[in-house]
Amino acid sequence: MPKARKKAKSGWSRRKFLQTAGVAVATMAFPEILISCGPQTSTTPTATIPKPRKGASIRLLQWTSFVARADTEFKRQAAEWGDANGVTVAIETVTGDQLQPKTAAAVEANSGPDIIQMQYAWPHLYTNSCVDLTNDVNILISKLGKPDPVNEAYCKVDGVWRAMPYTIVPNAWSYRTDYFTQAGVSAFPTTWDELTTAAGKLKSTGKPISQTDGHAYGDSLTMWNPVLWGFGGKEVNADGKTVAINSQETRNAIKWAQGAVKAGFVVHPEWLDPDNNQAYHADRISGTLNGASIYIREKVEFHHYTDVTNNAPMPAGPKGTFAMNLIFNHAVMKWSPDVETARAMLLYLMDKTQYMKWTTIAAGYNAGPFDAFHNDPVFAADPKLKAFQDVVAPGKWPGWPALPSKKTAQSQTQFIVADMFAKALANGGTGDIEAAVSAAETSLKAIFERP
Amino acid sequence: MIGDSLAGRAIRIYIPLLLLLVVTLFPFYWMAVTSFKSASELFDFSVSPLWVRDPTLAWYQHLLTQTNFPRWALNTAIVAIVSTLISLFCSVLAGYSLARLRYRGADSIGWGIFVTYLVPPTLLFLPLTFVIRELHLFNNLWALILTYPTFLIPFCTWMLMGFFKGIPHELEEAALVDGATRIQAMLRIAIPLAVPGILAAALFAFTLSWNEFLYALIFMNDSLVKTIPVGVTQELIHGDEFFWGELMAAALLGSVPVAVLYSFFVDYFVAGMTAGAVKG
Amino acid sequence: MGTATRADAVPVWHQRRVRIYDREAPLGYLLLLPTLIVLGIFLLYPFLFGIWLSITDSELGNVGNFIGLGNYRFEFRNTDGVFYEALVNTFLYTGVTTVFKLGLGLVMALLLNQVFPFRRFVRAALLLPYIIPTVLSYEAWRWMFDPTFSVINWLLVNTHLMHYPGPNWLGVPANAMAALMIVNVWRGTPFYAIAFLAGMQVIPVDLYEAARVDGASRRQQFTNITIPLLRPVLLVVLLLSTILTFADFQGPFVLTNGAPYNSTQLLSIWAYQWGIPGGAIGLGAAISLVLFPLLTLVVAIVLFMLRRPE
Repeated sequence: MPKARKKAKSGWSRRKFLQTAGVAVATMAFPEILISCGPQTSTTPTATIPKPRKGASIRLLQWTSFVARADTEFKRQAAEWGDANGVTVAIETVTGDQLQPKTAAAVEANSGPDIIQMQYAWPHLYTNSCVDLTNDVNILISKLGKPDPVNEAYCKVDGVWRAMPYTIVPNAWSYRTDYFTQAGVSAFPTTWDELTTAAGKLKSTGKPISQTDGHAYGDSLTMWNPVLWGFGGKEVNADGKTVAINSQETRNAIKWAQGAVKAGFVVHPEWLDPDNNQAYHADRISGTLNGASIYIREKVEFHHYTDVTNNAPMPAGPKGTFAMNLIFNHAVMKWSPDVETARAMLLYLMDKTQYMKWTTIAAGYNAGPFDAFHNDPVFAADPKLKAFQDVVAPGKWPGWPALPSKKTAQSQTQFIVADMFAKALANGGTGDIEAAVSAAETSLKAIFERP
Repeated sequence: MIGDSLAGRAIRIYIPLLLLLVVTLFPFYWMAVTSFKSASELFDFSVSPLWVRDPTLAWYQHLLTQTNFPRWALNTAIVAIVSTLISLFCSVLAGYSLARLRYRGADSIGWGIFVTYLVPPTLLFLPLTFVIRELHLFNNLWALILTYPTFLIPFCTWMLMGFFKGIPHELEEAALVDGATRIQAMLRIAIPLAVPGILAAALFAFTLSWNEFLYALIFMNDSLVKTIPVGVTQELIHGDEFFWGELMAAALLGSVPVAVLYSFFVDYFVAGMTAGAVKG
Repeated sequence: MGTATRADAVPVWHQRRVRIYDREAPLGYLLLLPTLIVLGIFLLYPFLFGIWLSITDSELGNVGNFIGLGNYRFEFRNTDGVFYEALVNTFLYTGVTTVFKLGLGLVMALLLNQVFPFRRFVRAALLLPYIIPTVLSYEAWRWMFDPTFSVINWLLVNTHLMHYPGPNWLGVPANAMAALMIVNVWRGTPFYAIAFLAGMQVIPVDLYEAARVDGASRRQQFTNITIPLLRPVLLVVLLLSTILTFADFQGPFVLTNGAPYNSTQLLSIWAYQWGIPGGAIGLGAAISLVLFPLLTLVVAIVLFMLRRPE
């Protein structure tokens, strides 16, 4: 929209342009540098504050939160802002599977919600449809500090902020302290090898540690990517072009997994996201990797195993500790007739006061994506939630160490990494490693070498 | 062979029927049982999952009072009925034309109508969104009422072609010889004879509409205009937690009333059989 | 009778109208008009767009360039390693389920045609699988198949038909495929049944009477009267069902989404994976349409068989 573009351009100064261009070049060559140095544009005197237009109508589309009350609070805040500014706000929440085609249809038809919640690397997929939010993110940075590197990697495309960081859903291990004690495991494993040992001991209780290795939207990625990275494996090199899955490190990761499965770690290729939750609530498993939803639902609704549930951060591999969390960001879509109003609303919702109200009600399910949210009291209020805070820092994204892109998005939606492990772990952990790696390599090459 | 005695009927009819019923209905029994189980029972598998120990109506109550389920049911019904009527009107005429009349282009058009079926909705929904945008029909039930015929009409047309083809020519020929026009022959003979087929086509069309998910998901945004499959999945599946009691309650409420309705229709078109006639 | 024709006996204006409506072509097209209008507005553009997409390298939101058969070549060379598996699975899935649906549908139709107590209840009951929204029934089936909770397994184990914990329905490739087929047959049989039932109603009762008088057995009546006269309906139902099953998406997506490791991957899901979450809609369109040439041929053949004068 011409108006939006003009507003963005008025925020540019030559200095800022050169800075950003320089950062962009550096980013493409060395993503780690960007992450460790933080943003170059922390205070810009020329950042303009978007003003809402009275009489405008804003529609926001996002994923239904596991915590229903958090969605209610979010809608309440948006309505409150809307009333105060004479704007009609409608928030539509759909399932993750449904958000995908709705977004695709909107992008293709160039019409739809004003704000769409971006999952994973969507800003890289839909770059041309997302408005440049550099101005607004800079406002947030000046107020809230550094953004989380994973959110930034997803939101920033070629040096331009195409989405505003919104939230992190940390994934940690929820486990049954009673079964662990019974099996003689004093604390949750801190390394993958310790997990193998623990899995073996827990097998004897009949309640194994279990995880999906199937096509689960969240749980397959949050598990197997960190395992791969923990042993030094990767899908592609940092340049984002050369497929690098076929390596000794990858094989080490797979060998570890096979060892764990043989010892008693149970993997389920048929499990989707809700299945490990259900298995836990039904007292079938002693531990699984998940968002805080398992613990929260026990605490708030079921009250069966709250006291015997604890949470632990990701174990470490030989090459370090890695995690993968669900990351959501908000993009303002270019077809919106009220881009400035939409931006104003997002800034309001990300304001520290509002945002913390929301995370408090979310009871530990969500973490904030800026420095200012790092010591959110909601995590201190319940010590068992500490693990969910601890997994934010080691978080990476699918395709790491390459930057998120269309290609990493495709690799992720085809579950290439999870399938590789699943094939090798079939038949009690005795699958053909070479075949699994080779298949993954073929699929990855098909993606990354496609013009 | 097996006669008409009770034993004969038992073997020929009752036993197969019973088997079919058990296999068909078991999942529904399961859904019903689940929809009455209280929260603590839902995940408790240490006891038999086949009975309810502590029945509760909470799920039904919540579904009917705290979600927009009644509204979704109404929307789904309206869309299904109207799009079925539109499609039937078009397909009865088109089906007759293609099945009975000889003229140039009939084959190509019949083929063409069907070939559109080969592009699946999972691909069509993208350009269709553009069409709906141009017509400003987002969030409007008319978006569905007008797009459902795109897959209902080819379907029903072909079904009706099959049924019209099954009616012996002689009946219409006789009428034509007697001086009736083609249209009169169609209206007075072919269509009345094809009523079972038309009813069947109506049932299919209604069911396809009732079941449709993708277009309803894409074109409807506000809760008040959603259809059952879309509304139910969005409000009863939160992230990775499914609310099974309500989901199953919704599944039952969204199918049993319709099945009851259908059974009356099936009754009607099977009632034509006279008693005593051989039934195969 | 006399030489005066019927036309002489009616006023002139009526004569002309009678003649127009008796010529087949104008009437033929007139009857097609409502259909052509509706499909023309809502289907023509999307249909052509879909075809065009498959021969471009379009991405979501970006109009692509014409690349001819590039997408098809990409797939047929099995570049992504999954296409062939999806292709074979799709044929297997469609073939096996169709055979079962046909057989069971016929049996169900014959049964529904009978007179017995509680007819109405039975008819409603047998139609339920077809009526219940696909998404909801498949979610229920997921739970029924999930080894942690499977009520099916619970039954099998507790009636001592199998050992604990019973088959892993969705976690083992062959089982998962079987599970998909079972649910599809469960859901689709009523469609065949109703179509056959309706088709049977049109068969004149006198034909059966005459045959019975001639001493034909039930089976002979079935094979010599019912089956041949059901032929048009049979052809159409087979064609429609086959095409719909080839494109079946919602159910398999909910039940397995291709897992375990793509062994239940179908063309419809694979096309969706590339096109929508993957953003490569040109390629997704090509996969969706891969069977297009084959199926258009099949459609033409069936149409020929249907329109052939008896």
